[in-house]
Amino acid sequence: MPLERAARRDRGGLEAEVVAVLAAGDRPLTPAEVQAELGGALAYTTVMTTLARLADKGVLERERSGRAYAYRLVGDASVLTARRMRRLLEAGSDRAGVLARFVAELGPEDGRLLAALLEQPPDPDTPE
Amino acid sequence: MHVVVYLPLLASAALGASGPYLSRRMPPATAVRLLAVGAFVVALATGFTLSVVAFLLLARLPWLARVGHWSAAALQAADPLPALVGPALGIGVVVLAGMAVRGAVQGGRDLWAAQAACRHLRGDAAGLVVVDDARAEAFAVPGITGRVVVSTAMLRALPAPERRVLLAHEASHLRHRHYLYVLAVELAAAANPLLRPLASAIRAGVERWADEDAAALVGDRRVAARALARAGLARAAHRVTPQPPGPLDGLAAVALGVAGSPIITRVQALLAPPPGRRRLLALAVASIVVCAVMASLEVRHDTETAFEHAQTDYHATR
Repeated sequence: MPLERAARRDRGGLEAEVVAVLAAGDRPLTPAEVQAELGGALAYTTVMTTLARLADKGVLERERSGRAYAYRLVGDASVLTARRMRRLLEAGSDRAGVLARFVAELGPEDGRLLAALLEQPPDPDTPE
Repeated sequence: MHVVVYLPLLASAALGASGPYLSRRMPPATAVRLLAVGAFVVALATGFTLSVVAFLLLARLPWLARVGHWSAAALQAADPLPALVGPALGIGVVVLAGMAVRGAVQGGRDLWAAQAACRHLRGDAAGLVVVDDARAEAFAVPGITGRVVVSTAMLRALPAPERRVLLAHEASHLRHRHYLYVLAVELAAAANPLLRPLASAIRAGVERWADEDAAALVGDRRVAARALARAGLARAAHRVTPQPPGPLDGLAAVALGVAGSPIITRVQALLAPPPGRRRLLALAVASIVVCAVMASLEVRHDTETAFEHAQTDYHATR
Protein backbone atom coordinates (compact mmCIF):
# COMPACT_ATOMS: atom_id res chain seq x y z
CA MET A 1 0.00 0.00 0.00
CA PRO A 2 2.66 2.60 0.87
CA LEU A 3 4.59 1.61 -2.25
CA GLU A 4 1.50 2.09 -4.36
CA ARG A 5 0.91 5.50 -2.82
CA ALA A 6 4.51 6.56 -3.24
CA ALA A 7 4.21 5.93 -6.96
CA ARG A 8 1.39 8.46 -7.20
CA ARG A 9 3.58 11.31 -8.35
CA ASP A 10 2.72 13.31 -11.40
CA ARG A 11 5.45 14.87 -13.47
CA GLY A 12 4.98 18.40 -12.11
CA GLY A 13 4.92 17.18 -8.53
CA LEU A 14 8.06 15.15 -9.02
CA GLU A 15 9.90 18.07 -10.62
CA ALA A 16 8.97 20.29 -7.67
CA GLU A 17 10.17 17.63 -5.23
CA VAL A 18 13.48 17.26 -7.03
CA VAL A 19 14.01 21.03 -7.01
CA ALA A 20 13.13 21.09 -3.30
CA VAL A 21 15.69 18.35 -2.54
CA LEU A 22 18.44 20.19 -4.40
CA ALA A 23 17.54 23.50 -2.79
CA ALA A 24 17.65 21.96 0.67
CA GLY A 25 21.06 20.39 0.07
CA ASP A 26 24.14 22.53 0.36
CA ARG A 27 26.10 20.82 -2.42
CA PRO A 28 25.39 19.33 -5.86
CA LEU A 29 23.71 15.92 -5.69
CA THR A 30 24.01 12.92 -8.00
CA PRO A 31 20.87 11.17 -9.29
CA ALA A 32 21.51 8.33 -6.82
CA GLU A 33 21.61 10.77 -3.91
CA VAL A 34 18.43 12.48 -5.07
CA GLN A 35 16.76 9.09 -5.40
CA ALA A 36 17.84 8.08 -1.89
CA GLU A 37 16.58 11.37 -0.49
CA LEU A 38 13.19 11.09 -2.20
CA GLY A 39 12.83 7.48 -1.11
CA GLY A 40 9.83 5.35 -1.91
CA ALA A 41 9.41 3.37 -5.06
CA LEU A 42 10.94 5.89 -7.45
CA ALA A 43 12.99 4.27 -10.18
CA TYR A 44 16.51 5.52 -10.74
CA THR A 45 15.74 6.18 -14.40
CA THR A 46 12.71 8.29 -13.44
CA VAL A 47 14.89 10.45 -11.22
CA MET A 48 17.55 10.71 -13.89
CA THR A 49 15.02 11.67 -16.57
CA THR A 50 13.53 14.32 -14.32
CA LEU A 51 16.94 15.80 -13.52
CA ALA A 52 17.86 15.87 -17.21
CA ARG A 53 14.57 17.52 -18.11
CA LEU A 54 15.04 20.21 -15.46
CA ALA A 55 18.59 20.78 -16.70
CA ASP A 56 17.28 21.20 -20.24
CA LYS A 57 14.82 23.79 -18.97
CA GLY A 58 17.71 25.70 -17.42
CA VAL A 59 16.49 25.15 -13.88
CA LEU A 60 19.45 22.93 -12.94
CA GLU A 61 23.15 22.94 -13.79
CA ARG A 62 25.17 19.76 -13.93
CA GLU A 63 28.82 19.08 -13.36
CA ARG A 64 30.93 15.95 -13.54
CA SER A 65 31.20 14.08 -10.29
CA GLY A 66 33.19 10.91 -10.82
CA ARG A 67 31.34 8.74 -13.32
CA ALA A 68 27.99 10.51 -12.97
CA TYR A 69 26.71 14.05 -13.16
CA ALA A 70 25.87 16.02 -10.05
CA TYR A 71 23.07 18.58 -10.22
CA ARG A 72 22.44 21.82 -8.45
CA LEU A 73 19.93 24.63 -8.69
CA VAL A 74 20.90 27.46 -11.02
CA GLY A 75 21.63 30.48 -8.86
CA ASP A 76 19.46 33.35 -10.04
CA ALA A 77 18.76 36.82 -8.74
CA SER A 78 17.53 35.23 -5.54
CA VAL A 79 18.27 38.32 -3.46
CA LEU A 80 15.76 40.10 -5.63
CA THR A 81 13.32 37.23 -5.25
CA ALA A 82 13.78 37.24 -1.48
CA ARG A 83 13.06 40.95 -1.37
CA ARG A 84 10.02 40.38 -3.52
CA MET A 85 8.85 37.63 -1.19
CA ARG A 86 9.16 39.88 1.85
CA ARG A 87 7.34 42.64 0.07
CA LEU A 88 4.54 40.24 -0.83
CA LEU A 89 4.23 39.14 2.76
CA GLU A 90 4.63 42.51 4.41
CA ALA A 91 2.96 44.98 2.07
CA GLY A 92 -0.37 44.25 3.68
CA SER A 93 -1.45 43.33 0.19
CA ASP A 94 -3.22 40.33 1.58
CA ARG A 95 -6.33 41.78 3.14
CA ALA A 96 -8.54 39.40 1.22
CA GLY A 97 -6.45 36.40 2.25
CA VAL A 98 -5.20 35.65 -1.23
CA LEU A 99 -1.80 34.32 -0.14
CA ALA A 100 -2.15 30.89 1.42
CA ARG A 101 0.54 30.25 4.01
CA PHE A 102 1.43 26.69 4.90
CA VAL A 103 1.31 27.42 8.62
CA ALA A 104 0.11 30.49 10.49
CA GLU A 105 1.71 32.15 13.50
CA LEU A 106 1.95 29.88 16.51
CA GLY A 107 0.04 30.60 19.69
CA PRO A 108 1.92 30.74 23.00
CA GLU A 109 1.32 27.09 23.92
CA ASP A 110 1.56 25.70 20.40
CA GLY A 111 5.35 25.46 20.32
CA ARG A 112 5.45 23.13 23.31
CA LEU A 113 2.67 20.90 21.98
CA LEU A 114 4.15 20.62 18.50
CA ALA A 115 7.65 19.93 19.83
CA ALA A 116 6.13 17.20 22.01
CA LEU A 117 4.43 15.68 18.99
CA LEU A 118 7.74 15.49 17.14
CA GLU A 119 9.36 13.82 20.16
CA GLN A 120 7.06 10.85 19.61
CA PRO A 121 8.27 8.03 17.36
CA PRO A 122 6.92 8.57 13.82
CA ASP A 123 4.75 5.49 13.87
CA PRO A 124 4.34 3.59 17.14
CA ASP A 125 2.36 0.75 15.54
CA THR A 126 4.88 -0.23 12.93
CA PRO A 127 8.38 0.89 13.92
CA GLU A 128 10.49 1.55 10.86
CA MET B 1 -45.77 38.48 2.36
CA HIS B 2 -45.14 38.71 6.01
CA VAL B 3 -43.20 35.77 7.36
CA VAL B 4 -41.57 35.07 4.02
CA VAL B 5 -39.70 38.38 4.14
CA TYR B 6 -37.79 37.27 7.20
CA LEU B 7 -36.78 33.86 5.83
CA PRO B 8 -33.60 34.97 4.03
CA LEU B 9 -32.51 36.76 7.21
CA LEU B 10 -33.30 33.67 9.22
CA ALA B 11 -31.37 31.53 6.74
CA SER B 12 -28.37 33.88 7.02
CA ALA B 13 -28.43 33.69 10.79
CA ALA B 14 -28.74 29.91 10.71
CA LEU B 15 -25.91 29.49 8.22
CA GLY B 16 -23.68 31.98 10.02
CA ALA B 17 -24.26 30.39 13.39
CA SER B 18 -23.93 26.77 12.30
CA GLY B 19 -21.19 27.24 9.67
CA PRO B 20 -18.17 26.94 11.96
CA TYR B 21 -19.61 23.76 13.51
CA LEU B 22 -20.55 22.27 10.14
CA SER B 23 -17.19 22.98 8.58
CA ARG B 24 -15.46 21.03 11.34
CA ARG B 25 -17.76 18.02 11.00
CA MET B 26 -17.89 17.58 7.22
CA PRO B 27 -15.01 16.62 4.92
CA PRO B 28 -13.30 19.97 4.31
CA ALA B 29 -13.64 19.89 0.52
CA THR B 30 -17.42 19.40 0.79
CA ALA B 31 -17.77 21.91 3.62
CA VAL B 32 -15.86 24.67 1.83
CA ARG B 33 -17.66 24.22 -1.49
CA LEU B 34 -21.09 23.99 0.07
CA LEU B 35 -20.72 26.76 2.64
CA ALA B 36 -18.93 29.26 0.40
CA VAL B 37 -21.39 28.88 -2.46
CA GLY B 38 -24.29 28.73 0.03
CA ALA B 39 -23.16 31.90 1.78
CA PHE B 40 -22.80 33.71 -1.52
CA VAL B 41 -26.28 32.70 -2.71
CA VAL B 42 -27.90 33.47 0.64
CA ALA B 43 -26.23 36.89 0.70
CA LEU B 44 -27.63 37.60 -2.77
CA ALA B 45 -31.11 36.41 -1.74
CA THR B 46 -31.03 38.51 1.42
CA GLY B 47 -29.79 41.61 -0.37
CA PHE B 48 -32.41 41.21 -3.05
CA THR B 49 -35.24 40.69 -0.54
CA LEU B 50 -34.23 43.67 1.58
CA SER B 51 -33.97 45.90 -1.51
CA VAL B 52 -37.41 44.88 -2.69
CA VAL B 53 -38.97 45.47 0.72
CA ALA B 54 -37.20 48.82 1.07
CA PHE B 55 -38.49 49.86 -2.33
CA LEU B 56 -42.00 48.72 -1.50
CA LEU B 57 -41.93 50.89 1.63
CA LEU B 58 -40.41 53.90 -0.09
CA ALA B 59 -42.98 53.63 -2.91
CA ARG B 60 -45.64 54.65 -0.39
CA LEU B 61 -44.18 58.17 -0.25
CA PRO B 62 -46.87 60.32 -1.91
CA TRP B 63 -44.60 62.03 -4.46
CA LEU B 64 -43.02 58.75 -5.52
CA ALA B 65 -46.50 57.21 -5.86
CA ARG B 66 -47.52 60.10 -8.13
CA VAL B 67 -44.42 59.70 -10.30
CA GLY B 68 -44.88 55.96 -10.52
CA HIS B 69 -48.62 56.07 -11.12
CA TRP B 70 -49.58 53.75 -8.28
CA SER B 71 -51.80 54.07 -5.25
CA ALA B 72 -49.87 54.54 -1.98
CA ALA B 73 -52.88 53.40 0.04
CA ALA B 74 -53.09 50.12 -1.87
CA LEU B 75 -49.38 49.44 -1.21
CA GLN B 76 -49.87 50.21 2.48
CA ALA B 77 -52.67 47.67 2.62
CA ALA B 78 -50.40 45.07 1.02
CA ASP B 79 -47.64 45.57 3.56
CA PRO B 80 -48.54 46.93 6.98
CA LEU B 81 -44.98 47.79 8.11
CA PRO B 82 -44.66 51.44 9.23
CA ALA B 83 -43.46 53.72 6.40
CA LEU B 84 -40.56 54.98 8.53
CA VAL B 85 -38.90 51.57 8.22
CA GLY B 86 -38.53 52.24 4.48
CA PRO B 87 -35.82 54.92 4.54
CA ALA B 88 -33.94 53.11 7.34
CA LEU B 89 -34.01 49.87 5.39
CA GLY B 90 -33.06 51.71 2.20
CA ILE B 91 -30.02 53.27 3.85
CA GLY B 92 -29.07 49.89 5.30
CA VAL B 93 -29.27 48.21 1.91
CA VAL B 94 -27.16 50.92 0.29
CA VAL B 95 -24.51 50.73 3.03
CA LEU B 96 -24.27 46.94 2.80
CA ALA B 97 -24.12 47.04 -1.00
CA GLY B 98 -21.34 49.61 -0.66
CA MET B 99 -19.43 47.30 1.68
CA ALA B 100 -19.80 44.43 -0.79
CA VAL B 101 -18.53 46.58 -3.66
CA ARG B 102 -15.60 47.74 -1.55
CA GLY B 103 -14.82 44.11 -0.69
CA ALA B 104 -15.01 43.13 -4.36
CA VAL B 105 -12.67 45.95 -5.39
CA GLN B 106 -10.23 45.05 -2.64
CA GLY B 107 -10.32 41.35 -3.51
CA GLY B 108 -9.87 42.13 -7.18
CA ARG B 109 -6.90 44.36 -6.41
CA ASP B 110 -5.29 41.66 -4.25
CA LEU B 111 -5.77 39.06 -6.97
CA TRP B 112 -4.30 41.45 -9.50
CA ALA B 113 -1.27 42.04 -7.26
CA ALA B 114 -0.86 38.28 -6.83
CA GLN B 115 -1.04 37.74 -10.57
CA ALA B 116 1.57 40.47 -11.12
CA ALA B 117 3.79 38.81 -8.51
CA CYS B 118 3.41 35.45 -10.31
CA ARG B 119 4.61 37.00 -13.53
CA HIS B 120 7.74 38.30 -11.80
CA LEU B 121 8.49 35.14 -9.87
CA ARG B 122 10.33 32.65 -12.04
CA GLY B 123 8.84 29.21 -11.50
CA ASP B 124 11.61 26.62 -11.25
CA ALA B 125 9.47 23.56 -11.79
CA ALA B 126 5.73 23.14 -11.63
CA GLY B 127 5.44 26.70 -10.35
CA LEU B 128 7.82 26.20 -7.43
CA VAL B 129 9.91 29.24 -6.53
CA VAL B 130 12.75 28.61 -4.11
CA VAL B 131 13.85 31.71 -2.24
CA ASP B 132 17.22 31.80 -0.53
CA ASP B 133 16.11 33.14 2.84
CA ALA B 134 16.84 32.40 6.49
CA ARG B 135 13.19 32.78 7.41
CA ALA B 136 11.17 29.60 7.13
CA GLU B 137 8.29 30.57 4.87
CA ALA B 138 6.00 28.74 2.49
CA PHE B 139 2.95 30.09 0.74
CA ALA B 140 0.98 29.88 -2.47
CA VAL B 141 0.42 32.89 -4.73
CA PRO B 142 -2.69 32.49 -6.87
CA GLY B 143 -2.74 33.57 -10.48
CA ILE B 144 -3.39 32.18 -13.91
CA THR B 145 -0.49 29.80 -13.42
CA GLY B 146 0.10 30.31 -9.71
CA ARG B 147 3.34 29.97 -7.79
CA VAL B 148 4.42 28.15 -4.68
CA VAL B 149 7.06 30.15 -2.84
CA VAL B 150 9.21 28.25 -0.34
CA SER B 151 12.32 29.53 1.41
CA THR B 152 15.47 27.44 1.68
CA ALA B 153 15.18 27.63 5.47
CA MET B 154 11.79 25.92 5.30
CA LEU B 155 13.05 23.24 2.89
CA ARG B 156 16.03 22.51 5.14
CA ALA B 157 13.80 22.23 8.20
CA LEU B 158 11.79 19.35 6.73
CA PRO B 159 12.81 15.78 5.84
CA ALA B 160 11.91 14.68 2.30
CA PRO B 161 8.50 13.08 3.01
CA GLU B 162 7.35 16.17 4.91
CA ARG B 163 8.66 18.43 2.16
CA ARG B 164 6.37 16.47 -0.11
CA VAL B 165 3.46 17.21 2.23
CA LEU B 166 4.23 20.92 2.06
CA LEU B 167 4.44 20.95 -1.75
CA ALA B 168 1.24 18.91 -2.07
CA HIS B 169 -0.56 21.22 0.38
CA GLU B 170 0.33 24.36 -1.55
CA ALA B 171 -0.36 22.71 -4.90
CA SER B 172 -3.83 21.80 -3.63
CA HIS B 173 -4.51 25.47 -2.79
CA LEU B 174 -3.68 26.45 -6.36
CA ARG B 175 -5.28 23.50 -8.12
CA HIS B 176 -8.64 23.92 -6.37
CA ARG B 177 -8.48 27.73 -6.51
CA HIS B 178 -9.11 28.06 -2.80
CA TYR B 179 -8.78 31.83 -2.87
CA LEU B 180 -12.01 32.04 -4.87
CA TYR B 181 -13.95 30.41 -2.03
CA VAL B 182 -12.31 32.72 0.49
CA LEU B 183 -13.15 35.75 -1.66
CA ALA B 184 -16.75 34.61 -2.20
CA VAL B 185 -17.39 34.20 1.49
CA GLU B 186 -15.63 37.49 2.32
CA LEU B 187 -17.95 39.26 -0.12
CA ALA B 188 -20.98 37.51 1.32
CA ALA B 189 -19.94 38.48 4.84
CA ALA B 190 -19.37 42.10 3.82
CA ALA B 191 -22.85 42.30 2.33
CA ASN B 192 -24.46 40.40 5.16
CA PRO B 193 -22.88 40.64 8.63
CA LEU B 194 -24.93 37.64 9.80
CA LEU B 195 -22.67 35.49 7.63
CA ARG B 196 -19.47 36.87 9.21
CA PRO B 197 -18.61 33.71 11.23
CA LEU B 198 -18.42 31.77 7.97
CA ALA B 199 -15.43 33.77 6.73
CA SER B 200 -12.99 32.39 9.28
CA ALA B 201 -14.59 28.94 8.99
CA ILE B 202 -13.87 28.90 5.24
CA ARG B 203 -10.31 30.15 5.73
CA ALA B 204 -9.72 27.32 8.19
CA GLY B 205 -11.62 24.98 5.85
CA VAL B 206 -9.35 25.53 2.85
CA GLU B 207 -6.29 24.80 5.00
CA ARG B 208 -7.90 21.55 6.15
CA TRP B 209 -8.82 20.74 2.55
CA ALA B 210 -5.20 21.17 1.46
CA ASP B 211 -4.03 19.14 4.48
CA GLU B 212 -6.32 16.27 3.55
CA ASP B 213 -5.13 16.37 -0.07
CA ALA B 214 -1.50 16.32 1.06
CA ALA B 215 -2.13 13.48 3.51
CA ALA B 216 -3.86 11.47 0.79
CA LEU B 217 -0.95 12.04 -1.60
CA VAL B 218 1.76 10.89 0.79
CA GLY B 219 -0.56 8.17 2.06
CA ASP B 220 0.21 8.80 5.74
CA ARG B 221 -1.75 11.19 7.94
CA ARG B 222 0.89 11.14 10.68
CA VAL B 223 3.60 12.31 8.27
CA ALA B 224 1.31 15.18 7.26
CA ALA B 225 0.73 16.07 10.92
CA ARG B 226 4.46 16.03 11.63
CA ALA B 227 5.12 18.24 8.60
CA LEU B 228 2.74 20.84 10.00
CA ALA B 229 4.35 20.64 13.43
CA ARG B 230 7.88 20.97 12.09
CA ALA B 231 6.99 23.80 9.71
CA GLY B 232 5.20 25.66 12.50
CA LEU B 233 8.21 25.37 14.79
CA ALA B 234 10.58 26.35 11.98
CA ARG B 235 8.56 29.49 11.26
CA ALA B 236 8.54 30.42 14.92
CA ALA B 237 12.23 29.57 15.38
CA HIS B 238 13.61 32.97 14.50
CA ARG B 239 11.14 34.76 16.72
CA VAL B 240 11.04 32.73 19.92
CA THR B 241 13.25 29.87 21.00
CA PRO B 242 11.02 26.81 21.30
CA GLN B 243 10.69 25.59 24.85
CA PRO B 244 11.44 21.94 25.61
CA PRO B 245 8.30 19.86 26.03
CA GLY B 246 7.16 19.45 29.63
CA PRO B 247 6.53 16.03 31.13
CA LEU B 248 2.75 16.32 30.92
CA ASP B 249 2.62 17.49 27.34
CA GLY B 250 2.83 15.23 24.42
CA LEU B 251 0.87 13.56 21.77
CA ALA B 252 -1.95 12.88 24.21
CA ALA B 253 -2.37 16.58 24.89
CA VAL B 254 -2.46 17.33 21.17
CA ALA B 255 -4.80 14.46 20.38
CA LEU B 256 -7.19 15.24 23.21
CA GLY B 257 -7.65 18.80 22.09
CA VAL B 258 -6.19 20.78 24.96
CA ALA B 259 -5.50 23.80 22.81
CA GLY B 260 -7.74 25.21 20.14
CA SER B 261 -5.37 27.31 18.05
CA PRO B 262 -5.56 26.87 14.25
CA ILE B 263 -2.42 24.79 13.80
CA ILE B 264 -3.22 22.49 16.73
CA THR B 265 -6.72 21.98 15.31
CA ARG B 266 -5.23 21.01 11.97
CA VAL B 267 -2.72 18.64 13.53
CA GLN B 268 -5.48 17.04 15.63
CA ALA B 269 -7.63 16.53 12.55
CA LEU B 270 -4.75 14.77 10.79
CA LEU B 271 -4.08 12.54 13.78
CA ALA B 272 -7.76 11.54 13.79
CA PRO B 273 -9.28 9.39 11.05
CA PRO B 274 -10.55 11.32 7.99
CA PRO B 275 -14.03 12.81 8.52
CA GLY B 276 -17.06 10.87 7.30
CA ARG B 277 -19.28 12.08 4.52
CA ARG B 278 -22.14 13.50 6.64
CA ARG B 279 -24.74 13.57 3.89
CA LEU B 280 -27.48 14.76 6.27
CA LEU B 281 -25.51 17.84 7.30
CA ALA B 282 -24.85 18.67 3.65
CA LEU B 283 -28.54 18.26 2.93
CA ALA B 284 -29.40 20.59 5.82
CA VAL B 285 -27.13 23.32 4.45
CA ALA B 286 -28.57 22.90 0.97
CA SER B 287 -32.12 23.19 2.26
CA ILE B 288 -31.32 26.38 4.18
CA VAL B 289 -29.96 27.90 0.97
CA VAL B 290 -32.93 26.73 -1.10
CA CYS B 291 -35.29 28.15 1.53
CA ALA B 292 -33.67 31.58 1.26
CA VAL B 293 -33.83 31.55 -2.54
CA MET B 294 -37.47 30.41 -2.61
CA ALA B 295 -38.40 33.09 -0.08
CA SER B 296 -36.76 35.83 -2.12
CA LEU B 297 -38.56 34.64 -5.26
CA GLU B 298 -41.83 34.63 -3.33
CA VAL B 299 -41.18 38.19 -2.14
CA ARG B 300 -40.51 39.22 -5.72
CA HIS B 301 -43.78 37.67 -6.85
CA ASP B 302 -45.79 39.25 -4.02
CA THR B 303 -44.29 42.66 -4.67
CA GLU B 304 -45.12 42.46 -8.35
CA THR B 305 -48.72 41.60 -7.51
CA ALA B 306 -48.92 44.46 -4.98
CA PHE B 307 -47.70 46.95 -7.57
CA GLU B 308 -50.11 45.66 -10.18
CA HIS B 309 -53.01 46.20 -7.77
CA ALA B 310 -51.72 49.60 -6.74
CA GLN B 311 -51.49 50.70 -10.36
CA THR B 312 -55.00 49.44 -11.12
CA ASP B 313 -56.26 51.34 -8.07
CA TYR B 314 -54.47 54.50 -9.13
CA HIS B 315 -56.02 54.49 -12.57
CA ALA B 316 -59.46 53.57 -11.16
CA THR B 317 -59.52 56.58 -8.82
CA ARG B 318 -58.67 59.06 -11.56
